[in-house]
Amino acid sequence: MKLISRITLALVSLLTAFAVAQGSSPNITVAPVPTVVVTRGGHAQLTLELRVNRGFHVNSNHPYDELLMPTTLRLNAPDGIMIANLKYPEGQDLVLPFMNNQKLNVYSGAFVVTADVRPARTVAFGTERVHGAVKFQACDDRQCFPPRTVPFEFDVKVIRPVVHKAPAKNADSPHIHP
Amino acid sequence: MVGLKRNVVVFGVMVMVLAGLLAMAVYRRSLPIRGEVVAKGKPAPEFTLTDLAGKPLALSSLRGKAVVLNFWATWCPPCKQEVPWFVEMQNRYGAQGLQVVGINMDDAGDLKDVARFGAENGVNYPLLIGQERVAQQYGGVDSLPTTFYLDRSGVVVAHFIGQPNGPSEVEKNVRLALGLP
Repeated sequence: MKLISRITLALVSLLTAFAVAQGSSPNITVAPVPTVVVTRGGHAQLTLELRVNRGFHVNSNHPYDELLMPTTLRLNAPDGIMIANLKYPEGQDLVLPFMNNQKLNVYSGAFVVTADVRPARTVAFGTERVHGAVKFQACDDRQCFPPRTVPFEFDVKVIRPVVHKAPAKNADSPHIHP
Repeated sequence: MVGLKRNVVVFGVMVMVLAGLLAMAVYRRSLPIRGEVVAKGKPAPEFTLTDLAGKPLALSSLRGKAVVLNFWATWCPPCKQEVPWFVEMQNRYGAQGLQVVGINMDDAGDLKDVARFGAENGVNYPLLIGQERVAQQYGGVDSLPTTFYLDRSGVVVAHFIGQPNGPSEVEKNVRLALGLP
């Protein structure tokens, strides 16, 4: 009985690996973004952690060939909150076997995009939801897949600026001299 | 006794999982896989598409010729890599009855890029503006490049998804379509 169980387990493992290999399709996942807490009139850094699934690559934000589709992020910030200075990482150069030494500039695995979050001085305190999307076009070493857009969202919490009160002036203070 | 019952339950669960995975594997094997001939022996679905100048071309108008139907896009590096191979095939076998046809799957707004790419690469065969409807007729064309080789009667003799290993692999299928040894 133990032998049968072991053989069955081995077969299940093999078939699972086979099914996973057959079933993979290109995708980018965006890790959950913690609430960005920022003071009104101040600024905070947004960090987006993205991952291309194994076996695929996407063009970087600056592909060498102008006909290739760059990976881009779109962020729809609510009124009064500015999200700017989007910074994409450098891509990695990739030369595929069939490319005659032509380089591609790609992201594969994990990569991080950052941006500045700046609420206006007039925006209301509270939490606002930001909707975003990453647009990419993925390939593996032999074939390419149509462009896709993957949505994501996160919250921005606008808080009161922390006011550091100056110590009250004390007329009796020995350090104050009229 | 309890141990035996537990083993039977574990064994039963494993068999069910195994059966499920087997069914999934069999289903996936029935889907087009890169490089596999999946529609061999079937007539290629009829379509009419327009070229970049707006001139319509019906597949049926090419009956009597061996046809290479190449689905491609300018955003697809492996597609662009094989374009010179198709140009060479058209040059070499055109007189013997070969007609290469490129079906472009770029967005409609990118057709200027398509025309420029064709001109820069000396494309000597029609570039048609693809439509999703036609892609669906040909199995969905989930990835590019996807190429169908049709014999002179319009029957699919080879179907290749992805980048071939080189021009010799393209030529082998072209000769198959032309009925050449």
